[in-house]
Amino acid sequence: MSDNTAGSVNSPAKKKERVEKGFLAATWGIAALLFLFILAPVLAVLLQSFGIGAGAFTLEHYERFFTHANYLQSLFNSIAAASISTFVIVCLSIPFALYVTRTSTWLSSVYRGIGLLPLVAPPFIFSLSLIILFGRRGVVTQVFNDVTGLEISIYGFWGVVIAQVLGYFPVAYMMIESSMRNINPSVEQASQDLGAGQGRTLGKITLPLAGTAILKAGLIVFVMALADFSNPLIIGGGENFLASDAFLLVTGQQNLEMAAVLGVFLIIPSLLVFLFQTYLLKGHDTATSQSGGANNPLNPRMKRLMFGISTLVALFIVVMFIMVVLSAFVQIIGVNNTFTLDHFADQSGFDFLWNSVVVSFFAALIASGIGILQGYMTARKNVPMKKLMEFTALFGLAVPGTVMGIGYVLIFNGAPFYLTGTIFLLVMNMAFRKVGVGLEAGISKMQQIDPSLEQASQDLGAGPYKTFGRIVVPLLTPAFMAGFVYTFMTAMVSVSSVIFIISPGTNLAAPYILNLADQAAVGRASAMSFILIVIVICCMGLLKLMERKWSINSKL
Amino acid sequence: MKKSILSLTAVSAAAVLTACGGENETVTMYTHNDEDEMQAFASGVEEATGVETEVLRMSSEEAWSRIDAEHPDVNADMMWGMLHSFALVAENEEDMLASYDSPEWEDVPDEFVDPEGRWYGWSYWFNALAVNEELLEENDMDVPESWDDLLDPQYEGEIALPDPGTSGTAFLFVSTLMQEMGEEEAWEYLDELDDNVGQYSQSGSAPAQMAAQGEYAIGITWDQAIFDRIDEGYPIDIVIPEEGVGYDLDVAWIFEGAENQEAAETVIDYIGSDAGMELAAEHRSMVTKPDVDGTIDFEPNLIDYDAVWASENRERIMDEWQERFD
Repeated sequence: MSDNTAGSVNSPAKKKERVEKGFLAATWGIAALLFLFILAPVLAVLLQSFGIGAGAFTLEHYERFFTHANYLQSLFNSIAAASISTFVIVCLSIPFALYVTRTSTWLSSVYRGIGLLPLVAPPFIFSLSLIILFGRRGVVTQVFNDVTGLEISIYGFWGVVIAQVLGYFPVAYMMIESSMRNINPSVEQASQDLGAGQGRTLGKITLPLAGTAILKAGLIVFVMALADFSNPLIIGGGENFLASDAFLLVTGQQNLEMAAVLGVFLIIPSLLVFLFQTYLLKGHDTATSQSGGANNPLNPRMKRLMFGISTLVALFIVVMFIMVVLSAFVQIIGVNNTFTLDHFADQSGFDFLWNSVVVSFFAALIASGIGILQGYMTARKNVPMKKLMEFTALFGLAVPGTVMGIGYVLIFNGAPFYLTGTIFLLVMNMAFRKVGVGLEAGISKMQQIDPSLEQASQDLGAGPYKTFGRIVVPLLTPAFMAGFVYTFMTAMVSVSSVIFIISPGTNLAAPYILNLADQAAVGRASAMSFILIVIVICCMGLLKLMERKWSINSKL
Repeated sequence: MKKSILSLTAVSAAAVLTACGGENETVTMYTHNDEDEMQAFASGVEEATGVETEVLRMSSEEAWSRIDAEHPDVNADMMWGMLHSFALVAENEEDMLASYDSPEWEDVPDEFVDPEGRWYGWSYWFNALAVNEELLEENDMDVPESWDDLLDPQYEGEIALPDPGTSGTAFLFVSTLMQEMGEEEAWEYLDELDDNVGQYSQSGSAPAQMAAQGEYAIGITWDQAIFDRIDEGYPIDIVIPEEGVGYDLDVAWIFEGAENQEAAETVIDYIGSDAGMELAAEHRSMVTKPDVDGTIDFEPNLIDYDAVWASENRERIMDEWQERFD
């Protein structure tokens, strides 16, 4: 990737020019932060798994991993669940994306929104609704049992798979949708003009063109599902999974060595996928169109098929959300369905929501600000270590939250960086896990901007800093906003990493909801989830509004 | 756009500053108490003393792991709600617990308070079974009356038990069995019980909720978790197994080196005061101040639970548990 970005055709960086002191200082500063908040925690986990830090080098913990059935089981379960979820998600995302991009009714825009809805909720929300609906006394279960006489149970492996499918669906759908939208319609038209039917065109033209995006989406979903820790905790019914077991090893037994070993097995697949995607998939991006034409419509039969599948998915997602809302507003869903607001009388819940908003806001500011600045320097300045830094920032995106959390426990719980228990640590944790998003947005934006613009500014006598402030910063604002919105949204609902570093006074909403779910307080967990979802949607709406206003102003 | 972001930043920064610089003293605490009772306690403290509390709730074993890992820089000023057996471990750790001689605790019998003032027992609770009678009836199952009954194959997959790896309720259950039956027999019992257990939960209160929602017919849990669900209108009952149940003295303590030592002492005073004990009595079966009645009006069949034995053998028992069941 770096080859494309750093050396974009006529980048001034090529000219071996001296880098200004300010940018050099910024580079060293960012490098130090990337090391401290991304690399060091991961290294600490790696060392801990070999017993270094607690004693001398040993392979004892790995030996234990390979000789105990439950650890191997957790590895197997995690990989199997992630593989199945990924397969199902990709199979559902393709028709959903086809339907949304190739029809233009009000319904398809509604579906588009529904497809993205799971992003604004904590990742374990579907476990809650699944239990309400399909638990041993769930609304659906009872009917099913009466009709068939069979007993079904949602707890366990398959419950986790279904929850993952729902929770990670939007990630794959988003990527596949945008690639399908960008396929040049004339290619598909040409195929049909030459006599291929719609099915053949889809199979031979559309899907291969979107192939890279589909593969990428699948890989990302796989990594996310593998690192999933909250669904196994709530709906796993005691089945072993890597991330949740690592969490329980830390919190329940203070066995950091074994947790680190599990962490290493989480990180190996993530690292492989990350390397594959960063170095092998780059440059194979979809043949995208600049024509701006509308996508080809589907023929009626195909449309019905895609519509059918999409409707099932959309309905399922909506029903899940409705269950959460319902259970927030009734006494005990399924047992006593009288309306109540009792579940909302939760003072500490509201305090934690506020904490979440503050922490996510600053995390998004830092992640996007640093990411963009680094993106600019990567694309334009001949700063030292830029490939290594870019790698580190992007790697931060791929590290499973549980591993990061354990690493933070290992590093920040003592000298020289005693930060445990501070809001600052939570902010840095969330910021540096997402700094790669801002970086990528910054780099790709800089590639679209002609360097002659900056050159002109400099020729007219503005110094490099003035040029950066007056020319580059305004141009990068949309990229900043994109990074900001994404980081804010993910930070609001993230649990897997911060759950290790919250403390009294710095508790956050999502881990609090997980704790409520853990005490099986479904009503209150639903009420808090409901408010969290509303807050995230409102914040996103506000940001979108500001962005739109800004982009209109800037066009004038 | 940039301006609005700047102003947003300024607003949030100001809000954060005011939140930190409030006039009242603030105590940070860890607890294993359930969220709702802890919120009631927190407002009780604030009303009576003006001290604000910041609380992180965890299961007992999780809280202990955390304290053990953070010691000597524990990230909280005090603990309100913890197993007595952990207090007995903690008092032997160097510089873990602070001594404080509270004037409010004089009426409380000596057995409930550490002579050196390092921990204060404010209430006690015991193991009990939450049974969903509707569900039992529907499936033609008998109401269990003893620990032994739980081994009956009719309950296969119908029992929810917390995991002693995280839950103090579960450790109380396991260590009670060992004191009642002897260790060997207790392990055999647990092995057999495992066949009937449908799910191991993290939290000790969860099995009560699961039985209440009808997810499982029987939950092995603690008294107040069941009473709370009954009050909320769930169709469950409490059963005290006839062999007798173990109980735990629930304790509070101040960590050595607490940042807000004085405010934490105020909280300890409050817990021992009449107002504090009366509030606690609304949420607990029994409190340690004589003349303050808790929530129950019957004599639970408590065994003479040996918390010292439990604290001394905890690590060994837990290692064995992990070998067998994890």
